[in-house]
Order: sequence, then structure tokens, then C-alpha cells
Amino acid sequence: MSTNDSVENVQEQIVALLPRLRRFARNLVRNPHDADDVVQIAVERALLRLDQWRSDARLDSWLFKILRNAWIDEVRARARRAKILMPEEAGEQIGEATMEREMERWSAETALSRLPEDQRLAVSLVLIEGLSYKDAAEVLDVPLGTLTSRLARGREALQEMLRLPEGDVS
Amino acid sequence: MTISDEMLMAYVDGELDAASRASVEAAMQEDPEIGKRVARQRALRETMQGAFAAVLNEPVPDRLIDAARGRGAAARAQTATTPQSAVADLSLSREAARRKKLPARRWQPAAMAASLLLGLGLGFLVWHRSGVLIQPGAGGGLVASAALAEALSTQLSDDRAADRVAVTGLSFRNKSGDYCRTFSLNETNASSGLACREGTDWRIEALAQSPRAAANSGNFRTAASEDSPAIRAAVEGSIDGEPLDHAGEIAARQAGWAAVPKR
Repeated sequence: MSTNDSVENVQEQIVALLPRLRRFARNLVRNPHDADDVVQIAVERALLRLDQWRSDARLDSWLFKILRNAWIDEVRARARRAKILMPEEAGEQIGEATMEREMERWSAETALSRLPEDQRLAVSLVLIEGLSYKDAAEVLDVPLGTLTSRLARGREALQEMLRLPEGDVS
Repeated sequence: MTISDEMLMAYVDGELDAASRASVEAAMQEDPEIGKRVARQRALRETMQGAFAAVLNEPVPDRLIDAARGRGAAARAQTATTPQSAVADLSLSREAARRKKLPARRWQPAAMAASLLLGLGLGFLVWHRSGVLIQPGAGGGLVASAALAEALSTQLSDDRAADRVAVTGLSFRNKSGDYCRTFSLNETNASSGLACREGTDWRIEALAQSPRAAANSGNFRTAASEDSPAIRAAVEGSIDGEPLDHAGEIAARQAGWAAVPKR
């Protein structure tokens, strides 16, 4: 990133990726407002760290990774905040949304949201975002074998929940 | 040959090399059951992609586009702070988001705290008639005195006896290596603050009083929760690493809360 031209160029690529970043963030965070906040953080961090981006790496996977790390930081910060002055109220905001979901019909969204986070993110990156196993493993900071086994378990659970028809086999 | 589930998935995901792909396809020819398994995997992939495609067509909020072009309010504010202070980033961008008038959420933003922060002036001293807990320090700022200084130096955070003048909340080291502690005053006007050790003083870094404290005077805990965003923001702006645990507090207390030089 040596010239302003290339910075602007990358900025426009990031703008083009915003819809996908928002989509991944929603599968990461669930609450859409929080999701957009985390996208914003991630994008701002990415701009500050453009020099760390290897231009042979995919910009989308790099941003997904920053996004995920931003969310991890936020979760830690929330846990810490909960401890600052009101230990009794820690964890209060968990679980409200799941009650609403009880009433909903199974859909792909609800099925995905029911997966444990590890599996949900593996499915989200590979099946929805179309990343390669290698790139997805890199985003999640896990070995390839871990990624594929999470993906396999996530898929199995989704098949179970969605009871998909056999497909167009002929 | 037998085809494992993992291999089928890799086939559907386009992860196989040409030779493995050919052997999966040969197996599909031989065994219709394998063909069905592949079809189910494909159907799942298509279902998931279809279900989440709608997000891509939603309009992207301007604040995100601005942020991507390096024109976000938070980005500007952030250049003035340390780039790697991750948590501070969140407060700042949340503040930026709030300025764009997002609806209030359960997760209280640091920005709101600014309006709760009261002046570090005489007004504060009037709230506390039982003793001057905060007074001007030699350096011009404010320092904890009397019972508050005592509490900060001696109490552990899980010591929450009701008769205390102040309870301490969280202890941590700031980026200069000084120990800092949050505290709440057990008074009718619930207020809370953040103090950092400076020599033998506890320097008051932030102080907040809940405007609702008067209305909630019988309910200290509620009041303290209301005003804590101000203090949270101060903590997040200065904390280095994780807060001290119980053993860490005991060790720091033994060492007189002396600053730990950065390695």
C-alpha cells in the first residue's frame, strides 16, 4: 500500500464487499444492529492495517478474519463490563432472542442459528460465503482437519433440521 | 470403493483434485445411493446460499460505506488514539453510530456516558456529607481521600459489605503500568468512578453520577447500573490486558499498588 491510488482502490473493493461482510456478521453476531457495528469496527481496523494485508491473500477472507476477531474482542469486553460494577446482572442479555425463535417455523436461518458457533461459522464461510477450506480454516484460525470436521457436523445437523428432499437426482 | 462423507462433501465443495473427483464420479455411476448423498449435499448448499442471498441486496448503511472509505467519524477520532486499542475502537464507533441516531439498545453505549459525567468540581464534594472523599491533589487533579482512599487501598473487589463507604468493582493495570480500580460510593446519590494509583495517591480518572439516582435513592444497585457506561468507557480506554483476578488483587495490595514497569 504505497500510494493513495492503491489505498483508494482497496477501499472501493471493501465497499463492494460490504454486503458480504454484513451477511457473515449476521451469522456471527445474530443481532443485526450489533452485526453492523462489528462490520464498521472491522472495516476501520482493516484500513489501519492495510500494510498487513498480503496482496496475494484474498481480501474477503482477510476481512472476515478481522471481523471475527473484532467480535471476539467485543464479547470479552462485554464480559468485562458486566464485571465492573454489577456482577449480579452478568449474562442478562443472553437468551431472549431464542425464545422468539421457538415460535418460528424451521427455516434455513433458524436452523443455522441453532448450530454451535464453531459449526455455524464453518458452514457460513464455506457453504454461504463460498470460501475454500483453506481460506475458511485461516479465517477461523484452526487446522484444516478441524474445519472439515466442524463443517461435516454442521451439515449433518442442518440436514437433520431441514429434512431436505432428496434433490434433483435423476 | 467406499466414499467417505468427508470426501463427498469435499466433492460438492469443489475441494477435490481431478483424480479424486473422477473416483467419486465413478462411484456415483455404480451406486445410486452415493448419487443421492451427493444430491442432498448439493441441495443443502443451494438452500443455504438461497436463504442468505437476500442480505446481499439490502441497502448498505451509509456509515459503513463511509467507514470503508476512511471517512467514518470513528476513523477520524481513532487516529488520535492508539490504533491497536481494540476495545476503545468499539466505543468510538458505537458513538459514531449513535450520532447517526440508532435506536437505544440494551447494550449501553459509552457515548451516552459523556452526558452523565459530571464536573470534577465542587458539586461532587457537596454530594458526600459524611466526609470529603475526594479532594484536590497536589498535581491539580482530584485524588481520593479519607475513607475512599482507604477502601481503594485495602478492599478486594469481592468484598461487598453493605456498610462500606465505597465498594471496589474491577482492578486492572492501565497502559502505563499503574493500577486502577473502579469504585461505587454507597451514598444516597449513587456515584461511581475510576481511580488510578499515582505514587501514594489514588488519582480520580473519571467520575459519574446517575441523574436518576435521586429517584432511585432506595435502590443503589439500579442507580449504579445506570451510570456505569461512563466508567466502562473510562476503563476500556485505559485497560491493558485483562482485569486482575482475586489472587492478582491480593498480590497488588501486598505490593502497595506500586506501578509495574512495562516489560
